Amino acid sequence: MKSEEMTSLERIAAALQYQKPDRVPVAPLVCGASHRVLGTTYDKWSMDADLATRSLLAAHEIIGFDSFLTLVDLSVEAYDFGQDVIFPKTSTAYSNTNNPLIKTVEDYYKLKPVNPRETKRMGMIIDMCAGLSKARGKDTAVIGFVYGPLGVLSQLRGHERMFMDCIRHPEAVLQAVEVLTEVLIDYAKAQIEAGAHAVCIDTLYASGSIMSKKMWEKFEGPFAKRIADVIRDSGAVLLLHNCGNKIYFDVQEKWLHPVAISHAYPADDCVDWDEHARKWGKKIVTIGYSVPSDTAIMMSPEEIMEDCRKQIETFKDCNGGFILATGCEFPPNGNLLSAIAMVKAAKKYGKYR
Amino acid sequence: MRELKAKLFQDLSDAVVDMDEEKAVETSHQVIDEGIDAYEAIEKGLAHGMDRVGELFDQEEYFIPEVLICSDAMYAGVEVLKPHLKGDEQGEKKKVVIGVIEGDTHDIGKNLVKIMLETSGFDVFDLGRDIPPQQFVDKAKEVGAHIIGLSTLMTTTMDGMREVVRILEETNLREQFKVIVGGGPISQSFADKIGADGYAANAADAVRLARKLVS
Repeated sequence: MKSEEMTSLERIAAALQYQKPDRVPVAPLVCGASHRVLGTTYDKWSMDADLATRSLLAAHEIIGFDSFLTLVDLSVEAYDFGQDVIFPKTSTAYSNTNNPLIKTVEDYYKLKPVNPRETKRMGMIIDMCAGLSKARGKDTAVIGFVYGPLGVLSQLRGHERMFMDCIRHPEAVLQAVEVLTEVLIDYAKAQIEAGAHAVCIDTLYASGSIMSKKMWEKFEGPFAKRIADVIRDSGAVLLLHNCGNKIYFDVQEKWLHPVAISHAYPADDCVDWDEHARKWGKKIVTIGYSVPSDTAIMMSPEEIMEDCRKQIETFKDCNGGFILATGCEFPPNGNLLSAIAMVKAAKKYGKYR
Repeated sequence: MRELKAKLFQDLSDAVVDMDEEKAVETSHQVIDEGIDAYEAIEKGLAHGMDRVGELFDQEEYFIPEVLICSDAMYAGVEVLKPHLKGDEQGEKKKVVIGVIEGDTHDIGKNLVKIMLETSGFDVFDLGRDIPPQQFVDKAKEVGAHIIGLSTLMTTTMDGMREVVRILEETNLREQFKVIVGGGPISQSFADKIGADGYAANAADAVRLARKLVS
């Protein structure tokens, strides 16, 4: 340590290196919810880098979190490949899986790479990284976001169809994953060049609630590794996000060596958070683990403070390697006072001595 | 004949577990050709296979992709056998109306629950996804459902579940139907808060809950 009051960036950097910061960093993952701060609609926010950047900056001013995350929604990459996406005015945009880009097995082979820097929505995320970095990059962590190749593919094909294709037509799936991986490598690089300090890959399917470890290792592990290697080689920190139950820490560590994982549940080889903190807490930094819907919609500020206190207590012996956060994005319709309560809890209960 | 019947039922069950749609169809045709009862073949063959799949899912031997393909094999066999069912043979099944709440199109969880409920003997009326609250109530009234199952993965659509309960209360129908809820952001405390009859964390739990509520 440690000055009495670090900047948010110093605090996050210290936690990610297991060097005790002044207090536990806090990141309620307020992303889409920020559209309400400036009073715009979600559909506009989801397509306009300047508007989204200003919204995040305004949310930061109100809430005081320690890091920005440039997650807009999980259809961003798919949109730029030509996927039909629906943009509700008050909810998260999503791929129209009734009209998938990949309609047949043959279509997997027709997927063509795009240049993320010249696209509408990936370009938007790159611009957000630049805007946030310019505005607050000196004192607050800017974390970019890339949906993993298998996740993007599921947006283009529909989840169920893609899962079944993994068994029935593995070669076709692998061919498309290969094309996506090269694009996502460029995309991650562009975010780092724009000023992101770290990039978070969302490896959503590396979880026992979705597929076996063997299947994930075949269809995403080696591909996500190539993106992870480029993120590190470009001088940024590699983070992962996975809000699935029974999340696989072991195979993700094997392939990707992340510094930290943003997660909602303990690893699949742990029965609870206490065991997780003992087993993994000193190897991979946990970014978690408030339940988003409970925190943002159900609990009072006092209940949130107590819940956060328990989480901080759970990870107190991890040499400073813990970031208090929601286990997934802060609900876009959630009460922003709940995010403020999380920040208050980190300040009140998270001081390292 | 008894041996042949047992063998064909075992083949049907194995076809489902082995994700072998072709074998499920072929064996189902054989069942009909041999004059074996179609209902028994579904119950002791195909559904038995899905029960085994459910166990493998519980034991984390099978995951979502495997379960989806197994269920395809099961439904392919059922399609062959269905026209040969005698009208009065199926008995009175407990009915469930199920769907994903309006504004949400994530339906894998709902589909898994549907598959598991059907293979556990429930008659499932699947409304699909993006379903307005009133439609759940209308369908439940129409078919005389015992349970209404509501699913959502998004926090922005959770309130639709509360709306279903509210409509039931306002129309004095609340006592007629059990309401169960599930999905990523849903919890027992949310279920309690909106006055649902139960919450299930996964498909296997949903079947246990449904059985408990109608027993």
